[in-house]
Amino acid sequence: MTIQECFAALGGDYDDVIGRLRSERLVQKFVLKFPEDGSYALLLQAFEQGNAEEAFRAAHTIKGMCQNLGFTKLGNSASDLTEAIRGGDLAAGVPFMPAVKEDYALTVRAIEAFKAGL
Amino acid sequence: MDQIKILIVDDSEMNRSILADMLGEEFVTVEAENGETAVDILRESGREFSLVLLDIVMPVMDGFGVLTEMKNMRLIEELPVIMVSAEKTPAQVELAYELGATDFIMRPFDAAIVRRRVMNTLLLYAKQKKLLGIIEEQIRENEQNSSLMVDVLSHIVEFRNGESGLHIWHVRTITEFLLRKLATKTVKYPLDETEITIISMASALHDIGKIAIDDKILNKPGKLTPEEFAVMKTHSIIGARMLEGLTQYRGNPLVRKAYEICRWHHERYDGKGYPDGLVGDEIPISAQIVALADVYDALTSARVYKPPFTPEKAEEMILTGQCGVFNPLLLECLSDEFVYIREALEQEAKDGQHAREIRRFSDALGYAKNTSTSDRTLKLLDYERMKYNFYAELTEEIQFEYRFDNDMLIFSPWGAKKFGVEAEIMHPALDTRLRAQLGKNWFESFKKLVMAVAPEKQDFRYECELAIGGEKRWYNIIVRAMWTDDLPPRIESFIGKIVDVNDMHNTITALKENSIRDPLTGLLNRAGVLEDVGRKLSRFGENKYAIAVFDIDLFKSANDTYGHLFGDRVLREVADRLVHSTRAGDLCARIGGDEFLIIFEYNTDIHPIIARVFHALCGEVDGFTLSVSMGVCEMASADETYTGLFRKADVALYVCKKTGRGQFRYYDESMEGEVLPAEETQTEI
Repeated sequence: MTIQECFAALGGDYDDVIGRLRSERLVQKFVLKFPEDGSYALLLQAFEQGNAEEAFRAAHTIKGMCQNLGFTKLGNSASDLTEAIRGGDLAAGVPFMPAVKEDYALTVRAIEAFKAGL
Repeated sequence: MDQIKILIVDDSEMNRSILADMLGEEFVTVEAENGETAVDILRESGREFSLVLLDIVMPVMDGFGVLTEMKNMRLIEELPVIMVSAEKTPAQVELAYELGATDFIMRPFDAAIVRRRVMNTLLLYAKQKKLLGIIEEQIRENEQNSSLMVDVLSHIVEFRNGESGLHIWHVRTITEFLLRKLATKTVKYPLDETEITIISMASALHDIGKIAIDDKILNKPGKLTPEEFAVMKTHSIIGARMLEGLTQYRGNPLVRKAYEICRWHHERYDGKGYPDGLVGDEIPISAQIVALADVYDALTSARVYKPPFTPEKAEEMILTGQCGVFNPLLLECLSDEFVYIREALEQEAKDGQHAREIRRFSDALGYAKNTSTSDRTLKLLDYERMKYNFYAELTEEIQFEYRFDNDMLIFSPWGAKKFGVEAEIMHPALDTRLRAQLGKNWFESFKKLVMAVAPEKQDFRYECELAIGGEKRWYNIIVRAMWTDDLPPRIESFIGKIVDVNDMHNTITALKENSIRDPLTGLLNRAGVLEDVGRKLSRFGENKYAIAVFDIDLFKSANDTYGHLFGDRVLREVADRLVHSTRAGDLCARIGGDEFLIIFEYNTDIHPIIARVFHALCGEVDGFTLSVSMGVCEMASADETYTGLFRKADVALYVCKKTGRGQFRYYDESMEGEVLPAEETQTEI
């Protein structure tokens, strides 16, 4: 799997990210790092514990990372979630969680597949 | 030099890592994963840092908390902060600026933008240049925008007024002098640097109401009738109304000052002016000063109804109350500043607008208060740069500078504009626009060239063709390599200029082209043959070469019978046939009168080629039977020279003619006996 194919699989915009980072090496480095980031685990945990503030921050971080990496699909669902719970109401975020979970899984699957092919 | 240290504060490790990678290795980066850690680091060693990149949304303490703490530590004034955040609600942005952030970079990060912003911020601050400097810079920028508007408006007035364009400038200059003096004499009027700038600028609009005054009254050479004068007087109130009508700018300080000036610049300190009859300091100080400036310049300028008074006479008339009643404090300012004003106005009359702008700026430097030495130095550098850019623009030169330490290429603003690239380019070899405008590998090959030449020559120049945005032109590039004082010296940067020499280059090329071409037939001439032939024959071995010399049979009789114009036609016809029957690698020339030369380049047998060309040359031109006599010599070895070959071909031609014209002959040694020594020398080149 090429890095371009990986981006296609996870609903990302490779041209955008290469245009900004200017180096395929860097793009690859950060893409591979993405699954290791703890924000997603933190998000799930915060939801479980009902910690709205932390959930907002975690969603916000995921959104920011996705923007930087050109992960459009997950970035969009994380952004929807972020805006929904910005006011501190976790319940408002519940309808957006399935999309985030689904897109996150899709993203990580694509990255793992890419990694396996290296 | 110590490396520049940057603090990156972001809760996402990945984002910190991306930023650190984007900044590259010439910076030392320190990372903090939340606001509190950042504040701890800053408290410990804040002054070691040159810049902070700061996220907003973070656990424990957010970005606003960090900014607030930096303010408490009095660090925000000297340590620039660039916000890096996905937050873009205006309220958040506003709050960050309010708390002292310098700049904002929105996600997603673009490597080029991050570097550019960071470099800009570092350059701007250079650690000493404080917030003050930046604010001043912004004011100056705004000032320039408004200045343009004011110029346009005031010139419309002058155009209708038939006054010289100088009046506006003069009033503005006098106003500025008087304001500065007044500020030193009293604190009664709030005259800080900004206020002075705004009033001076607004002064240019004092007469805009005259746009509405009938031409006949406005430009009447003689004295106005009382009715006409009444109309004339309405210009002050009309001008004020025009400004009042600019509803969307009503709060703009420039517009407010301009309103005061328009409306009240004909009031008198004793209350006998118009339109409102205000007395003393009821008249805003802006209007009082412009009134005085207006009168002074009117007195010292020629008008349709009067010659100019000398500056001394004008001063005397004003001070003795012959031209209105003014605030005594202002009269004092006038007499204090008289000498400077007189000089400034004289200078203005001589200068162009550019020079005025520069001097205004340099004057402002001298007056700027509370500036530290380093601020001053930076400003003087700014001034030097401005001067330099001005000259560069005049001569249409493009200056550039390349620094090895941060891999940054800087073009003068004019150059950047002309080339259609950014003025400051980080990593020029990778810069998309530079690559698009000047060619993909231009910078790399240019740098390579500089590096190759620089160790031997500090300065060098060369001419080359650059395709700027697809259009090819010739440029002269002059480069100076800058070396450090170290042992051994290192190349630190190079500077240079690029001059468009396309026109000159084309002229020279055309002249050169002309000098080797026969103007009648467009074929090469003797000189043209010599230019090329050595190089051509040196490839003997790869190709075979033969030389043919021919002339037109009975050409003299064609000239005599039909005239020279006809003779020219025949020559052109022969040239034409020659060009069409030879091939691209062959060289054709008219080497004198009706004598032509061909150097054939071929691989197989010369005979069919000669036969074809020979037959193509024979025929008829308007009743004249065209035939030629041709001598041919094949090149037998690499040792043979052009001169030798030419002589042999000429021998063959001679034999040809002697044995009946209209034919071609190949040279052989037996022919040598046929030629008279005298003729041999004649045909030598």
